[in-house]
Amino acid sequence: MNREMIKYPFYLIVHPFNGFWDLKYEMNKRMNLIISFVILFSMVVTNILSTQYSGFLVNIYNPNNMNSLLEILYVLVPLLFWCVANWSLTTLMDGEGKFIEIFTSTCFSLTPLIIINFPWIWLSNFVSMQETTFYYFSSTFALLWFLYLLFIGNMTVHQFAPMKSVGTILLTILAMGFMAFLCLLFFSLIQQIVAFFHVIYQEIVIRY
Amino acid sequence: MNRIKIFSKLLVVSMIFSFMIHMKPISANAHVDVPSYNYSFWGDSIAAPDAFKAATLIQGDDLKFGAFKEPNDLFVTEDKTIYVMDSGNNRVVIMDKEFKALDAIDSFENENKTETFSNPQGIYVTEDKHIFIADTGNNRVVHLDQHYHLVGIIEKPESELLKEDYVFQPIRVVVDNADRVYVMAAGVFDGFMEFNVNGEFNTFIGANRVQIDPIELLWKRLSTQAQRSQMMMFIPTEFTNLDINSEGFIYATNGDDSSDKIKKLNARGTDILRREGYYSPIGDIRYPHDVGPSRLIDIDVTDSEVYSVLDSKQGRIFTYNGDGHLMYVFGGLGNQIGLFHTPVAIERVDDSFLVLDKTVGEITVFRETDYGHTINEANRSYYQGDEEKAFQLYKKAIELNANLEFAYTGIGKALLRQGDYKGAMENFKQSLDQKNYSKAFLLYRKELLRDYFPALMTIILVSAIGMIGFRTYRKMRKRKKGIAIE
Repeated sequence: MNREMIKYPFYLIVHPFNGFWDLKYEMNKRMNLIISFVILFSMVVTNILSTQYSGFLVNIYNPNNMNSLLEILYVLVPLLFWCVANWSLTTLMDGEGKFIEIFTSTCFSLTPLIIINFPWIWLSNFVSMQETTFYYFSSTFALLWFLYLLFIGNMTVHQFAPMKSVGTILLTILAMGFMAFLCLLFFSLIQQIVAFFHVIYQEIVIRY
Repeated sequence: MNRIKIFSKLLVVSMIFSFMIHMKPISANAHVDVPSYNYSFWGDSIAAPDAFKAATLIQGDDLKFGAFKEPNDLFVTEDKTIYVMDSGNNRVVIMDKEFKALDAIDSFENENKTETFSNPQGIYVTEDKHIFIADTGNNRVVHLDQHYHLVGIIEKPESELLKEDYVFQPIRVVVDNADRVYVMAAGVFDGFMEFNVNGEFNTFIGANRVQIDPIELLWKRLSTQAQRSQMMMFIPTEFTNLDINSEGFIYATNGDDSSDKIKKLNARGTDILRREGYYSPIGDIRYPHDVGPSRLIDIDVTDSEVYSVLDSKQGRIFTYNGDGHLMYVFGGLGNQIGLFHTPVAIERVDDSFLVLDKTVGEITVFRETDYGHTINEANRSYYQGDEEKAFQLYKKAIELNANLEFAYTGIGKALLRQGDYKGAMENFKQSLDQKNYSKAFLLYRKELLRDYFPALMTIILVSAIGMIGFRTYRKMRKRKKGIAIE
């Protein structure tokens, strides 16, 4: 069973149609969720390690601006935004997917980003300027692969036709932007309220 | 309780104030420490030691010819004779290197008539001490020889490229080794005017590009012909100053707000300035919003392709090396020595700087500090190919200022030449120089592989042969077993 668990994501990324179908209808939901979290965790680790340890020629980072906790957010926040936005839209658009299914399929799609980018963290330390082309090529390739899987996954989970799937994905991106805007608005309002009470407090303290 | 606290605070503050009032006013000659800085790779301004410090102040009153009145230009020859264009007094004041006044030119003989200058703006002196004066008010450039006798006058050029009603107002003038005269004139947008030895107009060189604001362009598209004729035209900006180096390249500054505020023009008028530094040489990268970007109004080239520019907005002098790295910054606006009111011209004499202040009519002399000397010498030795000396000096520079990022490149290059690839890589990493890092890395990798290739290859070959041997052995055993079972 454990062997199966490790093998499954690798099977899925090369056979996306069958893979996502089995993910939705055949596999154990609990198992899926565990694998998803493992993938998500390794994605976060890959991201942190690559900002810190990638070769000097492909990665100049300002140590003052590097923050591992923020790196975690850079992965988690877009992913959750995507899932929430996608779920909210597809419930209205007759999609068959549940939230958990959307989440697991998205996490499974991240696999190529990990298996290609992770070795490159070390490899990029052994390349010259001319050879960095390979680095950029493979990371672009990983990204395209990820997008392809995301598309297939979404289509399978909701049982959509391809064109409708493209439409929902575009709408999802729009919804993500909207959510980001609402979040910013919310936080800035909270901030102002806090500042307001703080000023009142200060005034009282200074006066008496 | 709180009241008592506030009262005691007030008491302390008032005591400090009364103490300050009782102190003697700070004398004008007190040394000011305007913190110097340099820009890091990330664009932050980081404190740096002073490379130049104000040493003396030369006022016109000290000289026997009386005070300067709105001087506009400065020139220093090879033997350190100083020429000051004293525009307000319509004369040129000549000083020796100890700043003693030698002479003043306020007139010359032209066909037995004595002629004077009218608001002259620019001066250039050739190697054999011929003087070129941009006599702006009289619309001419006057060429005098070393005894101040007239050699020739360049007047308004005859050219189809100029409008009929064009008024020739030369502002700055330089002369190259072949005695060609380059004139920067007011109201000319086609570049510098080039005159040949006989004072005949040749051509324009080095016109600035037209800068177009996209929003302006959109408005222009949307408006009618009549409205359009009322609007501002898109014309290239004028140059603000120029200088020429010993190889005959013209260094020019312009009022553009782009990355090519400074240009190095070759004989064809093409810009060949190297911009390999972390930022293009444009003066300040960070500036207060209300002040705006630097406005460069004078440029001075010295040996080893080092050039300095003067920013009129904040009165700072920026010095760049041939690659375009910012070496050091000094100066500023203010009332103390080392600060200026309206700086107009800078001139470098070996290892000191002269800065001319227009309204005050003073020249501030800056002398290089130990730190400045180290950087200058390091750059000079590197330029001359003395890598060993450059290496030592750059090391010293880093000891004085560990944040001087481009110095690490200097060290790295020296180490690369010496064959210490690993050390070179480390230094290039310090200066965030990917290009050179890659060069050092390739050599380092080659060296490593050369050392370990035989051992590595042997291991791989032996293990491959071993694997194949083991497999065939197992197969043979299996086959035997199979036969045995059947």
